[in-house]
Amino acid sequence: MSPGLDYVVIRSHALMGDLLTPEQMRALAERESLEAFVEQLADTPYGEISIGMEGDVSIALEKVFYQKFIERMMGIVDLAPTNIGDFLQSYYYLRFEVINLKRIFRGKFSGIPIPQVVGSLIPMMPYKVESYGEIVEAETFEDAVRRLEGTPYAPLISSLELSEKYDALWPVEIALNYLSTRAVFKSLERLPQSDRGLVRRVVQVEADVENFLVAAKQRSAREDAHSPEEMFPVTYGIGLDMLREAIEADDIKAVIQGLNPPYDEILAPLYEGDVALIRSRLRQHVYDIAKRGRAANDFGFNVVMAYLIFSEIEKDDLVGVAWGKTQGIAAEDILKYLAIPNFV
Amino acid sequence: MSATTGVRPTKGYLMEMKRRIGFIERGTEFLKLKRDHLAKELTTSIDVLKGRRSKLLEDLRIAYRAVTAAYISLGPTEVRSQASSIKSRLELEVLPRSVMGVRYPYIKVEKEPQITGELDITLSEAAEKVLGILEDILQLAEFEARAERIADELGKTNRKVNALENTIIPRYRQVIKFIEDKLDEESLEELVRMKLIGGALARRRE
Repeated sequence: MSPGLDYVVIRSHALMGDLLTPEQMRALAERESLEAFVEQLADTPYGEISIGMEGDVSIALEKVFYQKFIERMMGIVDLAPTNIGDFLQSYYYLRFEVINLKRIFRGKFSGIPIPQVVGSLIPMMPYKVESYGEIVEAETFEDAVRRLEGTPYAPLISSLELSEKYDALWPVEIALNYLSTRAVFKSLERLPQSDRGLVRRVVQVEADVENFLVAAKQRSAREDAHSPEEMFPVTYGIGLDMLREAIEADDIKAVIQGLNPPYDEILAPLYEGDVALIRSRLRQHVYDIAKRGRAANDFGFNVVMAYLIFSEIEKDDLVGVAWGKTQGIAAEDILKYLAIPNFV
Repeated sequence: MSATTGVRPTKGYLMEMKRRIGFIERGTEFLKLKRDHLAKELTTSIDVLKGRRSKLLEDLRIAYRAVTAAYISLGPTEVRSQASSIKSRLELEVLPRSVMGVRYPYIKVEKEPQITGELDITLSEAAEKVLGILEDILQLAEFEARAERIADELGKTNRKVNALENTIIPRYRQVIKFIEDKLDEESLEELVRMKLIGGALARRRE
């Protein structure tokens, strides 16, 4: 039985002390080598991490950071009242499962060996499907999608027609994004009305930015561009008209500058020439939403959500730093793309 | 062992030696022409290489920055997973080409990967940057291999010319001179002998 929301909120407040501060994250990024990075990480709540010398160290570390995040999330879920626990499970597990399904589909689509596909999956128990192994072992990509029959992902099967028509993965990926967003909003109904705002804002801004990036990418294939209705089954702050304009306009800068805040600022790197900065700015914005949400209600669900959002952004930053360190990338080149040390 | 050991000082051998040296000298001239041509090719290649390499290094830096940004932003597993979804891979064919008889590899791009469809925009931008310089990288590799082989051939040709000019031809000249000297000596001896015989015959007639 859950000790109640108050306890989870207090626990979340306490657990926030375990999160890395911007200074700690900066110091980790500034370490001169991977060994020094792992050594300094041992002084944080991550503790000592032993990594085998075989295989890609950055991928092994990525798995460790994912596991740590899932542990943190499950720690909260175990304590949370049923409605909040159910929502958090479906929100995070669903997102990770969607990532896993995309990785399986990509592997099947291009005929990657099964062990390689399995190795790329986030280390978690299957959520809405029986087992990943069954899908991975499908003969073809189409067969893999069809194996989702009888699961909440069954509507994906209808997107196969479009996928076959274009000989592409994107129709299935977009349908999967749509399904997961819809499922998140559905699971939001389990929360009291007053607690839904923070999650809704996060999901909407993420979906809008992803939609705009897909539209921007279509610019390079303007003649073969697919219809916005086909590509964007769900839009929020950036409507279909704006997305169509993003595909067709000669000057993307004017389109972005015409967007409302925060989109104009988040998407500015598209015309400034460093597209990767968009994700960093998006994470910073999500961090900001969580921080404001927490400030608005420091004794409710927002605190729990903020803790998990901060924790997930920390995981993303650490994955980037670990990869940068294994490659010997200069600290300033890593820091540029991190969210936490750049959060103002 | 002397160059003249075993040489037959006959007119026939002298003519054979003169024919051979004429042939060798013509060959040397051709080799010198080849050497000059290769040297010219190499100088031009090095100049082009220098220019192309510094431009390519700058483009590579930009492409590498984009790839790095994609990895940091998306994470290594996601980047690999997305990259694996590219169905059409890069296909190359390596064919032989020749300049002044020097063979070097020529790389032909048979099929370029189609990156537009499945990648996230960050990764697709990075991939486009890499793809944009791929042809330049291949051309530079081809040019470097060409310059390297020309330099090799130039070295060989130079050694051949030096050997011919400094060893073979002087040796032949020495042999020819030896035979000519011998033949001159023999004809002088013959002349003296004839004169002596002529003198003896004249004295007998008197």
